[in-house]
Amino acid sequence: MHVDLWREMRSSPAGIFGMAIVAIIAGLAVSAPLIAPSYREIGPVFSPPSGEHLLGTDDLGQDIAAKLIHGARTSLMIAVGVALLSALISVVVGGSAAMLGGTYDRVCMRAVDAVISLPSVVVMILVAAYLRPSLGLLIILISLFSWPGGARIVRSQTLSLRERLHVVAARAFGASRRYILLRHIVPDLGPILVAIMIQDARRAVLMEAGLAFLGVSDPMMVSWGRMMKQAMSFTYLDVWKWWLIPAGVLLSLTLVGLSLIAASLERAMDPRLQEDA
Amino acid sequence: MAIHMPILIRRCDAVIKMDLIWLSNYAISFLLILILNFVLPRMMPGDPLHAIYGEEALISMTPEMEAEIIKRFALDQPWHAQLITYITALLSGDLGYSYYYRTGVTDVILGFLPWTLLLTGLAFVISSSAGVILGIESGYRRGSKLDGCMLSGMMFLGGMPDFFIGIVLLLLFGVTLGWAPLGGAVSPYAGHEGIDLVLDIAHHLVLPLISLVLVQIAPTYLLTRNAMLNTLRARFIMTAKATGLGEGAIRYRHAGRNSLLPVVTAMGMRVPNMITGTLFLEIVFSYPGVGTLLNTALSARDYPLIQGVLLIVTVTVLTTNFLVDMTYVRLDPRVRYAR
Repeated sequence: MHVDLWREMRSSPAGIFGMAIVAIIAGLAVSAPLIAPSYREIGPVFSPPSGEHLLGTDDLGQDIAAKLIHGARTSLMIAVGVALLSALISVVVGGSAAMLGGTYDRVCMRAVDAVISLPSVVVMILVAAYLRPSLGLLIILISLFSWPGGARIVRSQTLSLRERLHVVAARAFGASRRYILLRHIVPDLGPILVAIMIQDARRAVLMEAGLAFLGVSDPMMVSWGRMMKQAMSFTYLDVWKWWLIPAGVLLSLTLVGLSLIAASLERAMDPRLQEDA
Repeated sequence: MAIHMPILIRRCDAVIKMDLIWLSNYAISFLLILILNFVLPRMMPGDPLHAIYGEEALISMTPEMEAEIIKRFALDQPWHAQLITYITALLSGDLGYSYYYRTGVTDVILGFLPWTLLLTGLAFVISSSAGVILGIESGYRRGSKLDGCMLSGMMFLGGMPDFFIGIVLLLLFGVTLGWAPLGGAVSPYAGHEGIDLVLDIAHHLVLPLISLVLVQIAPTYLLTRNAMLNTLRARFIMTAKATGLGEGAIRYRHAGRNSLLPVVTAMGMRVPNMITGTLFLEIVFSYPGVGTLLNTALSARDYPLIQGVLLIVTVTVLTTNFLVDMTYVRLDPRVRYAR
């Protein structure tokens, strides 16, 4: 599949809008230590928005705006971490299953089916309730539940790619399976891998926020979901206006941005959807 | 007729074989859950008694209670004896003892389950039918202003996290305008009866239900619209138009009905999503269903209760998915061979 993703993305309004949102959030996340260095400092609690505290302070007296900016960091690290790790597992399992075939292929696909039929959110809650995962562990756990969908797609793509003429030619010249996989198949998987990674990233951001909202992730991690959980217990005060709503809006924006990118990628790859303006 | 019999029998065999393979998929997932439930607490540092019940529970426990629990879970025995005890207890419907509610986990869950079933069931019916109708109308008017607005609106709605939609509705209609109650499923101590009770329940149900429908409508809508676009391109639609059929007949009887199959197929896949969405929204609205129970169990660290709730939810999801799988294989013979 030879699709110029970059060009397709720039030509669709949804893609541009989505990329703009994600770029702004990423900008916030990267510059967090510069623009909000003192987010753990404690001051007077529940102060309303002012020049000093742009969005006031929370129940601990910490600056809400600064915490929001650091929350972007957590969300994006989860997104990038899961996208990379989960795509890696997908390629290794899906690619090797397609190349080797036989019993190994059947075992792999059976594992894919079993993990896909599990309600991943529910199992994640169970595991997280015991382990209280930190950032790194959370990335690993979410990836363990999000690779199968990608693996199935990679496998079917690889099966069709390996019948292409240039791959057959390479095999005729005596290329090994590993060489064919890395040199000819993985590069051609590129566009579809990007789409899988965006989907995984979106799910990971939502999953992290959900787990934090339930209070089952590491309490030391600054997270939009956890901020929303804390703010939910103070809805009788006015603080929700500058505490709960901004956290929810930032989370929603990130998710909508990623969905828009995913939708425009899907359109770029499925010609049947393209005539649809 | 007689000539076709062997073929027919062979086809039946194939169906049964496929069903068995699918059944084994679900059996494997179910086993995975059981293993997680069994292994996780025993993997934690410290002795299993602490891990299964948590520090908080043990402080309030007498030595007699501890001895009773050790005996009940066979915790002083090797692990295979523990596994057998665990499985036999599960088979007899015993999910353990909730120290927070001071009664059996099964009883606690059964008390909360009806509200969740009410909420999920209604939301499923409403979001599916509304999604299908909007999808058909939008797809039929493809490229029009209405279609464009609906499409972008749904894409935006579908991208939002479910619990935030609930929070926004709660803050707007509950906190600011005061039109809806802030939580619960009935007014406490109001002593409503008959029609008053039904109205009271509806009043409490409306916000969580709307949030859940708003979250769930987007995927059905998008899928129906896509299917509509494909069906409308088919030749028989042109034939129907040429015979001078009315717009409504073409839209619903011809195009709509033939676009339903992928939508029905996807409904089964939406069930897990739907149930987890319900869990989160119940927590937002403090609606007394299984989600709120899970939240209570999580904050009290009542591990047997957490495990019980999650096990029930998983079994529900796996069973529904299996039933849907079985149904649509019979609805569309093509699916059988595609697998």
